[in-house]
Amino acid sequence: MLRITGGRVYDPANGINGVIKDVCIADGRVVADVTDGRTIDATGLVVFPGGVDVHTHVAGGSVNFARGMTPEDHRRAAAFVRSQSLRSGIGGMTPTTFATGYLYAGMGWTTVNEAAVPILFAKHTHEELRDIPIVDKCSMILMANNEILLDLLEAGEHERARHLVAWQIWASKAYGIKAVNPGGVVSWKWGKNSSQLSSPIEGYRNVTPGTIVSGLARIVDELGLPHPLHLHCNNLGAPGNVSTTIETMKLLEGHRAHMAHLQYHAYGGDDWHTMCSATPKVAEYFNAHPNLTADAGAVLFGDTVTITADGPWQHLLYKLTGRKWGNLDVENETGCGIVPYSYRPNNLVNAVQWAVGLELMLLIDDPWRLHLTTDHPNGACFWRYPEIIQLLMNADFRKDCLKSLTPHARERIFLPDITREYTLYEIAIITSAGPARALALPQKGQLGVGADADLVIYHEDKDVAKMFSHPRYVIKAGEVVVEEGEIRNVVEGRPFLVQTTYDPDIEGYLRPFFESYYTMSFENYPVEMSRLEKAEVFECKRAK
Amino acid sequence: MAAQLGGKVSCTLGEVKNRADFIVYWGSNPADCHPRHLSRYTIAQKGRFLPRGRKDRTVVVVDVRETKTSNPADVFLQIRPGKDFEVLTTLRALVKGQPVNPQLVAETGVTVEQLQDLVDRMKRARFGVMFFGMGLTMTRGKHMNSMAILTLATEMNAFTKFVAMPMRGHGNVTGADVVMRWTTSYPFAINFSRGYPRYNPGEFSTVDLLVRGDVDAALVLGADPGATMPMPAINRLAGIPTIVLDPKVTHTSRLARVHITTATTGISAPGTSYRMDEVPLTLRPPLRSPYPTDEEVVRRIHQAVARKPDWLTAHSGTSPIAQA
Amino acid sequence: MTSITLTLKNTPNVPLETEVLTPDRLAGLAHDEIRALPVFLGKRQLRLDDLFDIEGERSDELQIFGATRQLKSIGRGMTRGRIAIHGHAGMHLGAGMRGGSIEVHGDAGDWLGAEMAGGLIQVHGNAGGQVGAAYRGSMSGMQNGTIVVDGSAGIEVGTRMRRGIIVIKGPARDFTGLEMKGGTIFLLSGAEQRVGAWMRRGTIVSMLPLQMLPTFAFACSYHPDFMRLLARYLSQLGIDIPHEPQDGPYDLYSGDASIPGKGEILVWRSGLSE
Repeated sequence: MLRITGGRVYDPANGINGVIKDVCIADGRVVADVTDGRTIDATGLVVFPGGVDVHTHVAGGSVNFARGMTPEDHRRAAAFVRSQSLRSGIGGMTPTTFATGYLYAGMGWTTVNEAAVPILFAKHTHEELRDIPIVDKCSMILMANNEILLDLLEAGEHERARHLVAWQIWASKAYGIKAVNPGGVVSWKWGKNSSQLSSPIEGYRNVTPGTIVSGLARIVDELGLPHPLHLHCNNLGAPGNVSTTIETMKLLEGHRAHMAHLQYHAYGGDDWHTMCSATPKVAEYFNAHPNLTADAGAVLFGDTVTITADGPWQHLLYKLTGRKWGNLDVENETGCGIVPYSYRPNNLVNAVQWAVGLELMLLIDDPWRLHLTTDHPNGACFWRYPEIIQLLMNADFRKDCLKSLTPHARERIFLPDITREYTLYEIAIITSAGPARALALPQKGQLGVGADADLVIYHEDKDVAKMFSHPRYVIKAGEVVVEEGEIRNVVEGRPFLVQTTYDPDIEGYLRPFFESYYTMSFENYPVEMSRLEKAEVFECKRAK
Repeated sequence: MAAQLGGKVSCTLGEVKNRADFIVYWGSNPADCHPRHLSRYTIAQKGRFLPRGRKDRTVVVVDVRETKTSNPADVFLQIRPGKDFEVLTTLRALVKGQPVNPQLVAETGVTVEQLQDLVDRMKRARFGVMFFGMGLTMTRGKHMNSMAILTLATEMNAFTKFVAMPMRGHGNVTGADVVMRWTTSYPFAINFSRGYPRYNPGEFSTVDLLVRGDVDAALVLGADPGATMPMPAINRLAGIPTIVLDPKVTHTSRLARVHITTATTGISAPGTSYRMDEVPLTLRPPLRSPYPTDEEVVRRIHQAVARKPDWLTAHSGTSPIAQA
Repeated sequence: MTSITLTLKNTPNVPLETEVLTPDRLAGLAHDEIRALPVFLGKRQLRLDDLFDIEGERSDELQIFGATRQLKSIGRGMTRGRIAIHGHAGMHLGAGMRGGSIEVHGDAGDWLGAEMAGGLIQVHGNAGGQVGAAYRGSMSGMQNGTIVVDGSAGIEVGTRMRRGIIVIKGPARDFTGLEMKGGTIFLLSGAEQRVGAWMRRGTIVSMLPLQMLPTFAFACSYHPDFMRLLARYLSQLGIDIPHEPQDGPYDLYSGDASIPGKGEILVWRSGLSE
């Protein structure tokens, strides 16, 4: 049992905005009161619900591919020295699994969503997720280039497509579905891309990126999955892609959808030389459409490695950078690409990207619908979130940072004219309460009675980046994990997944496809439940 | 290691089966060494986009001698031993339309015309794959040979879809590589002596450590270095306390101080195996074994070691330095 | 200011990591502080005086004696001062150094001066592989400075180097100047094969004929002007490079066409007849 007393509590899900009150914890949950046990005096400190990352890449084949490709980063990264309670590891752009848990928890984040899992590699992802300590985790499977699904959409078999998706989610022990560059990866397998929403994709007559998006959004709603369709739009990173993004959002009217790393999809201009910010258009549309949520996918200047299922984009990025390129196409399902990258303030494109991420967070009115992410590690590493919080909370600091941009770049962006500053309450929404609601994890992102006792206690500091990168205490499932900025106690995180229902006949339909076009037996494909320890299984709510 | 130098463009084997209309085997003889590879994934298979199977595929073999794999190939290029790097580098130039020196090319055993023909065919392919084996990776140039073929495949993507994939050896070597990466961020040749992972092939790789005599004890798991490593390395293994975990008697177990018999993974012990394209597969053992699994033995060794004083924090007492 | 002398008491049976042995680290320390510096023998952390007899203090000149072949990373990242090793040195000697000088009266191990950015390293014996090279995965090797090896060198000398000079007086092995991006490598006794493989820019000068890759093209035979400049610099280090018109011309090969790169390999014409 634990009592946190005297702290100023920010709990937006319960409307609590900086109220000094006690938080009591028993058996890993928030309770109304406790009679004994330890008391933490949080007088003068700030209490937040534990952070929730709605979109990150921390485990599985593609991240592990990136780790293997970038020893030069590991050599300069923070080294985690083994101790009696901590495992050794490496931080940096793609931290090792144990280091990932320590870094997230060390910053006060206690739940993460691994946003891109090829079903064929789901076992691998779960093995890695199990090796990420402290944080709870869920995962999204990649469906928008799944050729079995596309064949069904081509044939107009919507019903069967829905059963297929339901089966795939359960087979991979996932929590939701992710669509990456719908149709584009299928085209990429022939060395092409899909940039037009209404043009059929390579090898199909009827299926277009647009039909995949609307088909999947409909399926997600029909299945009543807790999290909406998690969508990485077509034309990521391309100048002028704002039109694709807005057209895509129009296709989603009447459905729920989560627009992933919106920063990469809000550019104007015609080419790399004329690229500019188009955030007002995106924000205007987004503000008016409450069916949508999004995460920022913000960029910070510095070195990182880009990891995405968007193969054609990665080939383009490789050609632009001339550095290393990793690519792995996954049979019948998806692909992935890896390119190390450095964002530089004196580069026009990078400067626009940096500004666009911040502009979106400042121009979108409702903090509940826009979540703090960097699309780790694509825009920046997750352990740099405190730097973004500082940029959001301090307009003067932003102004200073703008000075490092070229005058040319400053003409292409809107950031210099934006004066909004986030409050602590709003920060608690974009880092915790909002993403928890978007992921439909009612026990997360809040400190009401019955909630999971995941919380973080900061020492308020004018230096916002310092405040958020060095929490005084982090409590996970009622256990004090971080004390005085040090990890003192390692608990295991839990996996979350969704139990879907489907017509068992779908297996009879799938089996022949498997035998012909896959290279493993059908029985070997699903992830066994025994691979997950202490899983929490959520039910679908049938919306329709 | 080659992927660290310039990257790697690859795919899972099902992509090869369904799409690869152009298949190259370089320094690799799967007909003898990976007998099921050809029938399951490549030449003989009908694929989703290659309904006529073998008729829809062009097969090229590059090797220093004729093999069972080269016999049925559409194109066989016989190159001189140790000239793989020169040939691959020439191909990279030809792909880009750059000039090469015909006399020096001829020294590799093939002509510029033959290589130009290969490049033309590669560019005409819809989906090309280059498999490479120990004939490339373990001959003079080693990791640079691997990098050369990976880079060639990468650069071919400016013209058409191309991938490259190593034909990895026996057992679950890919699995070890995968797990080491997620726990340490490095695939092999990792040193933990400073309490965190450090990596440097040539410095920390097993064979180099043994040959130089940098280690004073060895634990061998799922490998038989006593059969494959150079003599100086084997002599070192025999001279230091070597512990072997293996289901059977091996060359290494014969020279080891301790041999712990373990259950055979996949037959009498469960686990996960990673295929050479890194696809994870569940192993379902059909039999039971009276012997413990490797995992159980390692865990018990670890528990026993954990009871000892921690060497990282232990106070430096008397110098344990040995006399030469 | 006298020098600090360190004499290794015994031959270590496993590698000894001695990255503390830099003038930067020692120059400000009193004798007792130097004695207490940490070194790593295999996995064990020991004090410097567990392994060395130490004399002197507060100096940026180090003299190291004894059976030092197992000592790794001496002079790593140093920016000033001098180190003299009266014996052999292990791997990573002077890796990442930015200034100062190192002299080895014996052999040096692999990764000599790897990714160094300034300073001078002289090895009177042989060197291992990857002299002045990039570590695995890094985009750049040596960024500046000078390395002179009197004896032979191993593979991959100057891999991905950007600037600076490497002189190998004895023969070098394969892949000298691999993926070179700039700088100059002198091969006074030639190299085995694959010299300049995949080079983008930079210059390799050989006094003996080389086995060329098919992706290098003969351009011309001439007297390069810059050779005079380099020869003057190298003569200060006691190295003679033919540079006068009467010394005869150099054959220029350009490549590597596989990149396609603008690197230059210069082979001294008169070396052909010797």
